[in-house]
This record gives sequence, C-alpha cells and structure tokens, in this order.
Amino acid sequence: MKPHLFPTIGPAVALLLGALTLGAPRALAYPEFQAQILKQSGRTVNCALCHANSDGPEGAAPGQIGHLNAAEMERLGQARGAFQPGVAVDSPILNAFGNHLIKSLGKTKFLELRVAPAQLPDALPKESDLDHDGIPDAQELRDGTHPLNRNDGNPWLLFRHNFRENFGQIVLTLAATCAGIYGLVHLLNGFANAMRLKREDGDEA
Amino acid sequence: MLALHHQTRRCGVNFREKVLNTESYLAERFPVEKLNYASMVEKKEVPVHRLSWAYYLGGLALFFFMIQMVTGLLLLFYYQPTVSDAHASVEFITEHVPGGALVRNLHAWCSSAMIAAVMVHLLTAFAMKAFGKPREVTWVTGVLLLGITFGLGFTGYLLPWHQIAVNATKIGLQSIEEVGNYLPGQLSTLPTLLKEIIQGEATVGQATLSRFFALHVIILPLSIVMLLGLHLFSVQIHGMSQGIDEAPKRTEKFFPTFFLKDLTVWGVAFMVLYVISVCVPFESLYSYPLFEPFNPKGSTPDGIKPEWYFYFVYYPLEILPFWVILLGSMIGGAVLLFTPWIFKNTSRRTLRVLAAAAAVYLVVMTLFGEKIYHLFKG
Repeated sequence: MKPHLFPTIGPAVALLLGALTLGAPRALAYPEFQAQILKQSGRTVNCALCHANSDGPEGAAPGQIGHLNAAEMERLGQARGAFQPGVAVDSPILNAFGNHLIKSLGKTKFLELRVAPAQLPDALPKESDLDHDGIPDAQELRDGTHPLNRNDGNPWLLFRHNFRENFGQIVLTLAATCAGIYGLVHLLNGFANAMRLKREDGDEA
Repeated sequence: MLALHHQTRRCGVNFREKVLNTESYLAERFPVEKLNYASMVEKKEVPVHRLSWAYYLGGLALFFFMIQMVTGLLLLFYYQPTVSDAHASVEFITEHVPGGALVRNLHAWCSSAMIAAVMVHLLTAFAMKAFGKPREVTWVTGVLLLGITFGLGFTGYLLPWHQIAVNATKIGLQSIEEVGNYLPGQLSTLPTLLKEIIQGEATVGQATLSRFFALHVIILPLSIVMLLGLHLFSVQIHGMSQGIDEAPKRTEKFFPTFFLKDLTVWGVAFMVLYVISVCVPFESLYSYPLFEPFNPKGSTPDGIKPEWYFYFVYYPLEILPFWVILLGSMIGGAVLLFTPWIFKNTSRRTLRVLAAAAAVYLVVMTLFGEKIYHLFKG
C-alpha cells in the first residue's frame, strides 16, 4: 500500500485498512486503571487522564480513532508497536501523559500492569513532572489528579511547591501590605491628632 | 349627622396618631440629628468585651466584597459570556494573561471567604442581639445582603461553563420547578414559569448564561451596593450594639482606634487570601473532569454538586423528602427576616445557644454532609 493513496480514500476506509494492516486489537481505554485510582484516591478520573478525548479512543470525535486521517493512523500504528520502553511514542489518540506512559514502560509492561493496576505509579520514572507543578507524575497518578494540568494536584503539595516557587513575590507583597498599613495608620493617627487639637483649641477659645 | 361628624373626627385622630407613630418609629431608626461628623466619627465609641472580635466581621465581609468588585472587574476584560467561548476565555485568563491565574484564584477564594464572613457575621450578630430596637433595619438589610451574596455565588458558579457549573445549575433550577408539586391549582405553574424566566430557554444554554452574567455583574452587585449603603448607614448612625448583657466596662474610640484595628485585620485577611490564591488553585479541590468544558452530548461526570456554602441545604435535600426541606427553608427564611420581632424578648444567653446550634449544624453539614448522605443512602 502506497502512502500517497491515503488522502484519496475516506477516513472510514483508512481506519479499516489501518486496523487490518497494523493488526491492531480493538482500541479501548483501560478501565481497571481508572477504578484503581478512584479506589486509592477517592477522586473520579476519566479517559482524559491519558487519552486525547475524555470519552476515550473509540468514536469519531477529535482525538478518537474514527476522526484520524491517514498520517495519524500511521502514527497510531507506530505507537502500537512500541512494545519496549524507550521508544518515542506519538499516538494521536493519547495525550502527552499517555504517550509518556507508553514510552516509559513499553506497551508490553503496560498491558501486564492491567492485572496489578496499583503498581502503575511505581513503574513510572520518579522524577518526571510533565506539568511542572512540583508533583511527580507518579504521585499525581496515585492522587487521581491530572499530570498535565498544573492547577490540578493535591492541594497541600501544590501549596508547598507554589509557596517555595513564589516566596519572593509573597515576601514583597507582605512588605507592601505592611508598609501600606503602616502608612495608613500614621496618616489616620495624624488626622485624629489634628481633630483633637482643633477640639482642644475650640474648648480653650 | 352628628354621629358621622364624630366618626370622621375619630378617623382623623386615628390617622394623625398613626402618622405620628410612624414618624416617631422612623425617627428612632433614622435619627437624623446624629447625621454629623461629631456623632458618627469623633464621639463614636465601640464597646470592648469578650465578644469584641465579632465587631470586625462586618468590616471583613465588606473588605472581601471590595476585593470581589476589583477582581471581578479585571476578569471582565477577558471573560466572554458565550457558551462557545466562556470556558476557553477562563482558560485563557488562567494560562496566558499575566497575573490572570492570581486574579481568578483571588476571585474564587474570596467568594468563599465573603460568604463565610457574612454567615459568621450574621450568627454573631444574632448571638449578641445586635438586632434589638432600634437596629431592626440593620438586621433586615443584613439578611437581604446574605441572600444576595448567595445569589452572587449561585450565578457566578455557572459563568466558567464547565461540567460542574452547568450540571449543578441544572440541578439548582430543577429544584425551583419541584416546588410546583406542592402548590395548589394555577399556583403550581408559577415555579416552572419562574424557572423558565431564569433559564431563558428550554434547557440551560446561552440565554441562561447571558441572564446569569447580567445578574452576576450588574443587577446583584448594584443591589448589594444599595442595601449595603443602608446597612452601613444604619450601623454608623446607631453605633455598635452593646453585645453583652452587662454594660461594657471599657470602650474605645471608633476613630482612629477601632478603625485602625479594622484596617490591620483587613491587611492580615488580604495576606492570607493572597498566599492561598498564589499557592492553591481553587480547582485543585475538585476532580479534574468536573472542570472540563461542558459537553451537552458527552457523559456527565460523577461528583456534580453545588459550592460548599450550599451543602447545608443540598445534602438534607438529597436525604429528606423535598417538601421537608421546602418547608424548613421557608420557615428558616421567615424566622431570619423577622428575627428582631420574634426574638425581641429572648435573652442573649438563649440567643447564644441558638446561634451555637445553628453554627454546629452548618459546620457538620458542610464538612460531613457527604458522609452523612452515604450513611443514609448507602
């Protein structure tokens, strides 16, 4: 099959051909990981944790298999062949965290973990923090927070990280607030003293 | 003829008496002779006693309202009140506008702080019998301000147009419609009509967003400003209530002593709010699927519920029959509004017990409402 033929055929045919050519199994999000996260963290998560579409890979919406063009189907096929860790993965149905997951573990290991989903965070690189919110991706996975959203994370861990990151700004604001109150206190005390003096002058007069 | 003359004269006397009574009632509530600098600033004293801390709560609520006004105005520069762009504009503010995340977080955290301050202020004012004659107007305007503050919270919740916003608003509006089931005859259609007026179309959509936006940024803030004017005027003209049964042993000058302490409290509150807003994104308290853009065709995520300050009515609503909550809310609202007359002769000790019971209920339902719900519903 020649790649240049792809643009001339419809997406549905491309999907069929892609699936046949690459010998891919049915594309499914893996609900056992979602169930484990909910059990462990108490937070509900959806497919958008790893997938491009929050309703998972199946369907015809953006980020789902039915919406892929020929080039994207090829990328999907390459991603599905990433059985060993360390292979660059750029699947169009996964988000950056999903791709990172497959790249770090390899598809074989990832599929093995379906029977022990609690071990998934431990299998991830410990230092990786894709959204730079100070919380490692593995920890975000345990907490049921999104590894690509820096506004989503364990509130206490976010507080500690952001406090350290913005310490200078906080100190400056504190100094400005204190200076403002100090100035206002002196100004208003000045008014109060002026009022008192005026009253005393009036009494004397 | 003579009888008619006597009757007319008696009516005239009665009318005159009524006018005089009204005049004296109003004169007592609005003593215009105190409308001068000396009475309202120079000579004004604030009692000092073990409950004096409660005198700072009203000012604190006012301070939070001012922060809401400023941050709200800043958000208006970028926010787009359309169903297609609302969520994206909020995302843009958070991710791309310099200082946008801070302003948005300040607005979100401060709304909670404002509602908490207003609620505690109301409870302490009740416990201190600050509604007693001649402060009835202060109390009634305060209760109305609390209602409007809740209204601001409810309307503001929808504006980011994410999953939890739209779905929680749908549930809230549905509750209005359910009231119709308990009304007789033609009256039963009124709640549906009211819901349709608020909603503006068959379901929560663009018309609802436009209406909530108008309510949130113009109508309710203007109403607050007007009522707040009357509330503050009433507070200033009557001064602080005594607060405790025995006459306070000590007082302090309102200006500058109390006012400066008030400013210091505002400074501390601002710093706490600022640090929280810089360090803890408001969204981090919820599951992320709730903050995805609302998708009418997609699945509804789990965990849809209103803001924490509605838990005291939301969880009971989930557990008990609707009519119980409806009746309870109506009685509660009426009691709150007519407190100055209902509790006219109640001792401060009893009021403190009642206020403490109400506070315990609010805290328990807010913190443990979900657990209690699971306990009942399994």
